[in-house]
Amino acid sequence: MKTIDEPRLRDIVGENNIKSDPSDLYVYGSDSSVHQSMPWVVVRPETTEQVQKIMQYANAEIIPVVTRGGGSGMCGQAVPAEGGIILDMKRMNKILEINMPDVYCRVEPGVVDDDLNLALKPYGVFYPPTPASSRIATIGGEIGNNASGVRSVKYGATRDAVMGMKVVLPNGDLVSMGAHTRVEASGYQLHKLMVGSEGTLGVVVEAILRFVPIPEYRCLGIANFDSLKDAGEAVGAIMGSGANPSMLELVDSVAIQAVNKTMNLGLPEVAAALMFEADGMVKEAVDYEIHKMEALCKKCRGKDIQYSYDPKERAKIFMGRKKLFPALSKYDDSLASTSLADDMAVPYSKMADLAGKIHEVAKKNNIIMTAYGHCGSGCMHTKILMDTDRQDQWDSARKAITEIYEFVHSVNGTTSAEHGIGLSKAEAFKAEKADSIALMSMIKKGIDPNNILNPGKLMQAPDNWVTATDLRYSVHT
Amino acid sequence: MTTEFKHLEKWEGTLASCIRCGYCFEHCPLMKHTGWESDAPRAKIITAFGLLSGNVQPTDYVAHRMFSCFYCKRCEAACSSGVDLTDIFDDAQRDLLGMGFPGPGTASVTFDNCARCLVCIKACPHEARSYDGDAIATDPVKCKSCGACVEACPAGAAQIIHNYGTGKTDLTEKVTQFLEEGPSAKAVVYACNWSFYPDLQASELPDEDEQERDYKILVNMCGGRLEMPVLMAPFLHGARGVMVACCPDDECEHQGNLRAKKLVESLKSYMEKMDMDTKRVELVQIKAGDKQDFQMHIDTFVDTLNQLGPLR
Repeated sequence: MKTIDEPRLRDIVGENNIKSDPSDLYVYGSDSSVHQSMPWVVVRPETTEQVQKIMQYANAEIIPVVTRGGGSGMCGQAVPAEGGIILDMKRMNKILEINMPDVYCRVEPGVVDDDLNLALKPYGVFYPPTPASSRIATIGGEIGNNASGVRSVKYGATRDAVMGMKVVLPNGDLVSMGAHTRVEASGYQLHKLMVGSEGTLGVVVEAILRFVPIPEYRCLGIANFDSLKDAGEAVGAIMGSGANPSMLELVDSVAIQAVNKTMNLGLPEVAAALMFEADGMVKEAVDYEIHKMEALCKKCRGKDIQYSYDPKERAKIFMGRKKLFPALSKYDDSLASTSLADDMAVPYSKMADLAGKIHEVAKKNNIIMTAYGHCGSGCMHTKILMDTDRQDQWDSARKAITEIYEFVHSVNGTTSAEHGIGLSKAEAFKAEKADSIALMSMIKKGIDPNNILNPGKLMQAPDNWVTATDLRYSVHT
Repeated sequence: MTTEFKHLEKWEGTLASCIRCGYCFEHCPLMKHTGWESDAPRAKIITAFGLLSGNVQPTDYVAHRMFSCFYCKRCEAACSSGVDLTDIFDDAQRDLLGMGFPGPGTASVTFDNCARCLVCIKACPHEARSYDGDAIATDPVKCKSCGACVEACPAGAAQIIHNYGTGKTDLTEKVTQFLEEGPSAKAVVYACNWSFYPDLQASELPDEDEQERDYKILVNMCGGRLEMPVLMAPFLHGARGVMVACCPDDECEHQGNLRAKKLVESLKSYMEKMDMDTKRVELVQIKAGDKQDFQMHIDTFVDTLNQLGPLR
């Protein structure tokens, strides 16, 4: 651990925007992942100039800097694996401009996703990537992670919505990237490189984001399936038909049983349920999409099909999915719900096989895993329920995860669809991207030669994620 | 595992089951005021786990964090993992108190100018205050920082020192700033912690939108904590009206809504005497979580104020 020049940092950000009490550092040493590693100091810049000064100091002294938004990351991106300075960006929280004629908004990185959408609502538009954590996730964090969510099947991920940005480089230089225009063909698309770089290349201090009109009509349907294979077939049939769902979600039998067990919702305990949604400005167009998806579900032996435009009915249909997180947390008092190998993506035709593989591997390794997710984007989420006190459960989880990723890669899938790599998926990421890791490392070295920005993440993270940092649980051997 | 945390120990499994999603952030008035994650409910859960595992040492600083909570329990309602956060806070407080770390955090304290009138003991709905024949004592674990004692104390001796922007001075400062700097500012809405208010939680609007804002929602601890000067402050700075949002009958944990009703009625009677339209003050009772209903009331109120025009 290096000595931090706290008076200098205090001069930069002000007396009330620095913390170094061990209890604060402990809090800032974790996020929504399984990892725990304490920073040496936490600072909250309010301006671009302050960020530049902090970076100049850190670069000169070669001190790690880890940028942090809401701290809702699930793979340890915001956990300072090698200590250093946490740059808490929540004070840079201003929506700078909502430009309707030019169809973009400019925001600071600490703006919360839901807040942005609340501000855009009076203009009749919304920012669509919106992950499930939108009530806490900041735009900066979403850019770092290339976040996406339930509606990304239609509207795309963060990378599709970012038109440009201003970035402070590790040496403190301020660089503008991208453009204020819908298209740009001038040179390297550096802003796209920043999206998904997990804070390893620069500190985003401003972003230009595209928005889209809020649809007038939204219709949500559900179909139950007696076999996972049939549900998977329906996903491929829908996506291959040219249908344009605004949401296509799968939940498996483990998820349905967990919701019934803990929430008493009385859902039919089938092998899988598929939720399909269409939205648009014209009701007939939405009807067309819904009827098309309904017919394809029926063709794939979907049953108990129902759908509704009514917001209350839609909320009822979505209840099983919405209650899944708390249901898994309450499933068994001795088990914790962990986010590991939780967002892989595979081609549509392999969704059912992947869900089946997850069940098989979980059973073999004596852990509970559920499969659900945004199958319209090819994304499968999982949660691993395990006794986090027991070392053998961590060993089993690691084995299971390795097997699952081997399957994912064998069917041309990808390690992470939306939660990123951070620490806990580095092994699988490096295996998947084996022939491009060297190129990524060259880019990193070129931009951050002193390796101060979020060191020890992505390709730099160790293979064994269990020992990469302390775990945030009390593990007994 | 330290054995000093006799009350907290039983929560070890629950503390691990918190998935640390942070969905509690937007609901916590402390977090919203300071913006520090270490003031959020999640931080208290992490700190409690740290105390149990020995990674965090009990200190006055840590105790201040663990005793700081207004017990609106919105974090519990929003919790992805169904964690009983405030029960955990209580047990952490019991243990810390036992080790000689009494906070006070947001718990009320009594200053030396106390006249021993004992009004605060009667006013406290949580039986947190007692008199030992010499001085008033507050049990910081029982105290839920509702501020009923602060409101009742005629000498101003009962105080909540750390009020996280919800105190009288903070509120009036925010009123002044909004009404003097906002060219469109017309109304102030006082909403208690329990209100799931329909507004930005942690971000700022663009300057042009900010200037078009005709009302501002200010969070206070409870409708019952509002005092006449706070209620009248907006009018002194040119507001057209004031709205007070509190819980429905029988849903307020400290009968603060009854006090708020009385206060609003008193203000209305003053206004009648001054020939002011009483529609400029409105009390609404909003069910926890009903943002739509809250927004509807605000919109209707602003429409009414637009019809009434500025105060002459």
